[in-house]
Amino acid sequence: MSETYTFTFMKEVSSLLHAADGNPFPMCVQCGTCSGSCPVAAYMDYTPRQIIAMVNAGLKDQVLESNTFWYCASCYQCTVRCPQGISITELMYALQRYSIWKSRYREGLIGPSFSEAFAKTIVRTGRTFEPILAPSYIFKFKLGEFFREIQNATELMIKGRLPLLPPRIKRLENFKRMIRRIIPMGGVE
Amino acid sequence: MEKIGVYVCHCGTNIAGMVDVQQVAEWAAAKLKRRGVVIGRDYKFMCSSLGQELIEKDIKELGLTRVVVAACSPHLHENTFRTACKRAGLNPYLCELVSIREQVSWVHTDKDQATAKSMAVVSGGVERVNYHAPLEPLKVPIHPDTLVVGGGIAGIQAALEIADAGYKVYLVEREPSIGGHMAQFDKTFPTLDCAACILTPKMVQAGTHPNIELLTWSEIEKVDGYVGNFSVTIRKKARYIKTEDCTGCGICWEKCPKKVVDDVFEAGMGMRKAVYTPFAQAVPKYPVIDRPNCTYFIKGTCKACEKFCPTNAIDFNQEDEIVTVNVGNIVLATGYETFDAKRIAQYGYGRLPNVVTSLEFERLCNAAGPTNGEIVLKDGKTKPKAVGIVHCVGSRDKNYNEYCSVICCMQGLKFAHLVHERTGAEVYNFYIDMRTPFKGYEEFYQRVLEEGTHFIRGKVAEINDAARTPDEEGKLIVQVEDTLVGVQMRIPLDMVILSVALEPRRDAKETAHKFGLSCSADGWFIEKHPKLDPVSTMTEGILIAGCVQGPKDIPATVAQGAAAAARALGKIHAGEIALEPFRASVIEEKCSGCRICNGLCPFNAILFHEDRMVTEINPALCQGCGTCVAACPAGAIVGTGFSNEQILAQIEGLLLLNVGEEAVPA
Amino acid sequence: MKEYAYFPGCSLEKLAVSYHTSALETTRKLGVKLKELEDWNCCGSTTYFHIDELLAYTLTARNLAIAEKTGLDVVAPCSACFKNMYFTAAHMKGDPDLAEHINFALEEDDLHFSGDIRVRHLLEMFAQDIGPDEIKSKITHPLEGMRIAPYYGCQILRPRRDHEEIENPRYFEDLLSAIGATPIEYSLKTRCCGGSLIISSRTAALTMVRNLLQCARDQGADVIATACPMCQVNLECYQQSVNQEFGTDFSIPVLYFTQLVGLALGIPKNKLGIGKELVSAMPVLAAR
Repeated sequence: MSETYTFTFMKEVSSLLHAADGNPFPMCVQCGTCSGSCPVAAYMDYTPRQIIAMVNAGLKDQVLESNTFWYCASCYQCTVRCPQGISITELMYALQRYSIWKSRYREGLIGPSFSEAFAKTIVRTGRTFEPILAPSYIFKFKLGEFFREIQNATELMIKGRLPLLPPRIKRLENFKRMIRRIIPMGGVE
Repeated sequence: MEKIGVYVCHCGTNIAGMVDVQQVAEWAAAKLKRRGVVIGRDYKFMCSSLGQELIEKDIKELGLTRVVVAACSPHLHENTFRTACKRAGLNPYLCELVSIREQVSWVHTDKDQATAKSMAVVSGGVERVNYHAPLEPLKVPIHPDTLVVGGGIAGIQAALEIADAGYKVYLVEREPSIGGHMAQFDKTFPTLDCAACILTPKMVQAGTHPNIELLTWSEIEKVDGYVGNFSVTIRKKARYIKTEDCTGCGICWEKCPKKVVDDVFEAGMGMRKAVYTPFAQAVPKYPVIDRPNCTYFIKGTCKACEKFCPTNAIDFNQEDEIVTVNVGNIVLATGYETFDAKRIAQYGYGRLPNVVTSLEFERLCNAAGPTNGEIVLKDGKTKPKAVGIVHCVGSRDKNYNEYCSVICCMQGLKFAHLVHERTGAEVYNFYIDMRTPFKGYEEFYQRVLEEGTHFIRGKVAEINDAARTPDEEGKLIVQVEDTLVGVQMRIPLDMVILSVALEPRRDAKETAHKFGLSCSADGWFIEKHPKLDPVSTMTEGILIAGCVQGPKDIPATVAQGAAAAARALGKIHAGEIALEPFRASVIEEKCSGCRICNGLCPFNAILFHEDRMVTEINPALCQGCGTCVAACPAGAIVGTGFSNEQILAQIEGLLLLNVGEEAVPA
Repeated sequence: MKEYAYFPGCSLEKLAVSYHTSALETTRKLGVKLKELEDWNCCGSTTYFHIDELLAYTLTARNLAIAEKTGLDVVAPCSACFKNMYFTAAHMKGDPDLAEHINFALEEDDLHFSGDIRVRHLLEMFAQDIGPDEIKSKITHPLEGMRIAPYYGCQILRPRRDHEEIENPRYFEDLLSAIGATPIEYSLKTRCCGGSLIISSRTAALTMVRNLLQCARDQGADVIATACPMCQVNLECYQQSVNQEFGTDFSIPVLYFTQLVGLALGIPKNKLGIGKELVSAMPVLAAR
């Protein structure tokens, strides 16, 4: 089946990129440096280069259904090598934000729920607390992985490397009001 | 009162799209009537024959004494309109061209304001032209000799064209021999001619031509003068060889005990001696002694070359020699350098032994090169079974050079063919886009496709030696996305050739400064017009040819060498050149002898008479730049064509001080 | 005495506590004072960028504002924290609108960040600010014969774009040489450890860890030295997972560079948090 080009998705995603200095991903020449450099490319449904082409072509459904941007390890290898100066990592973040904002992501991915749990912990306490994050992912593990993870945690606990009580910052009320100035409605709590 | 005609050009929609040209013309006719304007017209293309005829007709029929044309930049059509005036019997210097395209329509977005600005610009032109005086162009003789800088194929071609036409050429080359990069190559695309076979006849011709004086192992120190009369100071570096006695027999370099890595001609792949000619067919045949590496110069003993020289041609006491030549034209053909592949650390060049640059590979497959043309790995014996050729290394990359280096695709194809032919190895070309325009190039691409070379569309991400599988052990692993499949590939190879970018010479900025030229941001010399005048520069009498202007292949380089020669020959043949009569001169009575202007002249045209304590300007050297006119505190220097009256009147015009139905005294 | 504002980051509280204690011990011995930021908050790591970009910058800006009050350069031992601080400072300096918006939020905690602060990674502080010569002069127990793989990882280098520096940096090697060890050359020293993919995309991350361990072992590394808690956890705590997944038998200790510098300075092992590893470093350190 053939498709037709629509450019609204490209513009929506562009507008989600603030600090990437006008991240010019429509300037992509499809050379593949990003995907050749990417340490996770082999595990992605589409390579980062393909995702850029798909965003530029407006293939929103296929992009949001893909695991590509949830598999980005934020290693920035693509970004520093891109001959067109495109911040591909930032584009991956933008797609993650878009996907969470629209609540549209593929079933079974750990990334979205982990990110949300992580973010919630921070806005509630000002700090991260590893044990509270575990439920967001551990039940999605295969049985062997599950036990391995529990074993790791136990060993770390014995070595005194896992916190027992959630830490929190002192001026938490100020901190929460600060966040409300950035995200005035919802988001927090 | 002068009778002035104002002509406003539409330039299609270039001007008319942003400026209400009809309104400007009508406004000039009405509001500048008291300033002498007798007619205002607009026309679609003022520069067309019909447009010019319009002006000529008005000059004849209305008796115009001045003409103001509002159109494009004077760079483009000043001459057109001056010539039109001349044809109608008006002195060409009574015509003023004001720009409402480059300075108005192209740089503004509000039509009303652009129209208002155009009116001001026209008013400035009208006020100024009132003060114009009839002038005659200055004629200067053209010295018939020419200087060609750079002895690569561009310089050789230019020198031969001029010399064959019967005029003397000084061909200056920094290295011991002419030949340039082309002499280092093995084959040339797309015909696979042996580079030496087609180049060396030209080198010999240049070396023996009665009209060519070769100055190799020489560099330009200083350039004075102007078109027709340049005076150029050249440093002939000491060769430590008496060229009048040397027969080029080669015994000296045979006997020289000191081996040195040849970073220039052999691109670091081979050795030479401390006394050497870069290659067997070097022109001239005389060697040079590389002083920093010569045992005698370092330790004070050795002199093996001197002992064995059959004609006593070695002279350790030679010193650099400074010579000055007078020439009418200069052709700059100083070429390019290759990109330093170490800058892309992820490609492993310099760290992984079998990652080589394109220039190194040229030497590797050259029959006269360090391996006698055997394509082998760094161990000197193993033939590669799989070879990768990486395109666009340092080109088309905002991190290094944004431009395309032009030659790499065809060079990559040539390498693929040579590797295939000589080793039978699997060959991979890694490209972003295949660019094979020009005659016979696409056909060559087809040929290499037929030979079974693998073409992988993807810019190589990295090259490393970290094996993950037994197949990868001991190999170079090229990691790349095959973008046509959309899969990241790891390809184990024995040798990788990096097609490195062509870059301007490291000292390009310095050279440009010496010759009064300008470089673009990336360092290539700027031509007068990128399409219509690619071998001229903004400095009259200085021409450019070959890669000094930007990356190009051999056919284009040769064409430019010939084109530059044709330009020079045209001027030489005319014998003289007409220069703008815009010159500064000193009113002696007003000159206080303060000497403020003396050091400011960029053309060394100012002379100070100590006896009379006054300054004088040499009209032959003056280029009419106006620096001294502006600097003189006593107002003692006047510029023909840019007098204070003219400039001040133009400013008043721009400020619309004299606009209106009523006359205002000037 | 040279002083730095010190932002430890969440991991150093527990998971990477030995990085924290060894950093404090070694700097004390080297005559550098680390002054911990008062009431710092989590930097948001990379994960917060998945939710909201502006808030991600704001979280880091709060710490920067607290640090700026001290008038000192700020140093972060974790590469993700470092990257966030470095780029938040750069973006806020380069974009007045962004700075204004964030500073408006910071007012709620009586803070303001002007953008004028030098952000350093702890490894840069050791290897470049203090420098190998200075460190070498204070070494009493050089780690002679110890073959160490310097592991830079990602965010200490990238996305800065000074290419020759980030694709083949040398300062970690220089630091290891200064403490008497032998830094090994291996081509994956700046490649990714998998980061948080170890949770979200486990197989991918374990493959990345496997490749790194393999490359370091092939080049004969006794120890891998890290400069980031995330890298340390992935390379060390998941070695058993890698072995389970791929049938390998890796057992390479992964220590923080501060622990190694501390050993060379003659600081006792227990004060450097040695013993808290899941892959014991004792066999390698036995003779020391």
